[in-house]
Amino acid sequence: MNAELIVLLVVVVTALGFDFTNGFHDTGNAMATSIATGALKPKVAVALSAILNLVGAFLSVEVAATVAKGVVNLNSVGGEDLLFIVFAGLVGGIIWNLATWLFGIPSSSSHALFGGLIGAALASLGMNGVEWGGVLSKVVIPALLAPVVAGLVATAGTWMIYRITRGVSDETKDSGFRLGQVGSASLVSLAHGTNDAQKTMGVIFLALVAHGTLNADSDMPFWVKLSCAVAIALGTYLGGWRVIRTLGKGLVEIAAPQGMAAEASSAAIILTSSHLGLPLSTTHVATGSIMGTGVGRRGAEVRWGVAGRMAVAWLITLPSAALVGAVCWGIAQLIGGLPGVLAVFAILLLLAGWMYARSRRQPIDSSNVNAEWDGGLIPAEDIPGPPANPTPAPAPAAEPAPRDNVTA
Amino acid sequence: MDLLSKTVDSLWQVVAVGLLLGAGLPAIFALGLRALDSGSTTDPAAATTTRKPAAVIAAGTCFAVVVVAIITGILFVMQGFLSHTFGIEIF
Repeated sequence: MNAELIVLLVVVVTALGFDFTNGFHDTGNAMATSIATGALKPKVAVALSAILNLVGAFLSVEVAATVAKGVVNLNSVGGEDLLFIVFAGLVGGIIWNLATWLFGIPSSSSHALFGGLIGAALASLGMNGVEWGGVLSKVVIPALLAPVVAGLVATAGTWMIYRITRGVSDETKDSGFRLGQVGSASLVSLAHGTNDAQKTMGVIFLALVAHGTLNADSDMPFWVKLSCAVAIALGTYLGGWRVIRTLGKGLVEIAAPQGMAAEASSAAIILTSSHLGLPLSTTHVATGSIMGTGVGRRGAEVRWGVAGRMAVAWLITLPSAALVGAVCWGIAQLIGGLPGVLAVFAILLLLAGWMYARSRRQPIDSSNVNAEWDGGLIPAEDIPGPPANPTPAPAPAAEPAPRDNVTA
Repeated sequence: MDLLSKTVDSLWQVVAVGLLLGAGLPAIFALGLRALDSGSTTDPAAATTTRKPAAVIAAGTCFAVVVVAIITGILFVMQGFLSHTFGIEIF
């Protein structure tokens, strides 16, 4: 086994790692509302979403090596240089995904990947490596528009739903809308699998082309499809409970009718926008929809402080991931060759392990994901789950959770 | 300004379709629930619910519209796959 092949393997594994974080970071986009209203038990919700992501991944047909096309310009490089850029970009994306997950902030996985690639491309190719017009039209403008559009649609939907069902018994409303909610959330999951898994497939394809295993006109190998589908489904099943909690409990207190309005809005906008070539991020759309359901229901509270933190995270996603991507490229380049790639990979593992250990100090999982929102992501102890979902027991914290800055 | 006009052009379509489907369909679903609820009387003693046929038909129509829309949505997600794998062009 030569050094080039090992570099390729590391890149492929890192790409699958990104796919995995993409899955668990985005579970909440589809399932947070169903979990929060008790329409589905937390474990059932993530399992359903995982299966639909798996199916969705196989439905994607991206064949060409177009990674972040129009955002970064990687045509001028090939071989190991290209592998280095893609690798550093992936590491940037993963680290940003994990960091935002640790703080329970839903942020766009695509933006994290784009950011990482932009940073690595800037560091290696200079200004020519990035297509700034594309950054504006494919990243910045959609990020500004998505929450507004989704919020508008969800507000309208929520308002109409509550108006129409005024006087309908709560029992009918709850059971009916829960069903509708699960249906629309499933559609969001399926669309997510189709759109997001193919991004990683594209990255691996590009790496294989750079290595010379494939040429640009080859068909997507089946093992790439399979491994990407499995990685995103596993990630989804693991469930990014911290993000789910923020989306389902932190932003707005959601009832079943609002949940259906939110997911229907997300599904409609995600499907139409990708069809019309306006690449709105699933995360931004889902978040906007959930906020919209808070605005559209009289008396509902939108926690604008939580929304504000999220907005800040969205703003810094691209530059932060870019910075990490650029630094990783620099380290890999400085050491050079296989040792450089392995060094960055080791850094990635260390940071990921550290963030995982950090999260275990104040774990959020299926048992306490629905606990009362008490000013922060980490639920206060001794507070039972809300009546909407009878299963979760009070948070079984392994040790008294210090309320440090993670809760801020 | 090409970018601006292109964005605005797809934006209003996303908003229009979003409102029609994303807000309209839940509203139709809500209408169905309302029809179901208003057309039914529950006898607590016998623990049975009787429903007026007209209400059931109205509710059924509303739910059918929503189900058709969801199936259309699934086909929409699958359209690339269908045309690529089986050569079926559905949209």
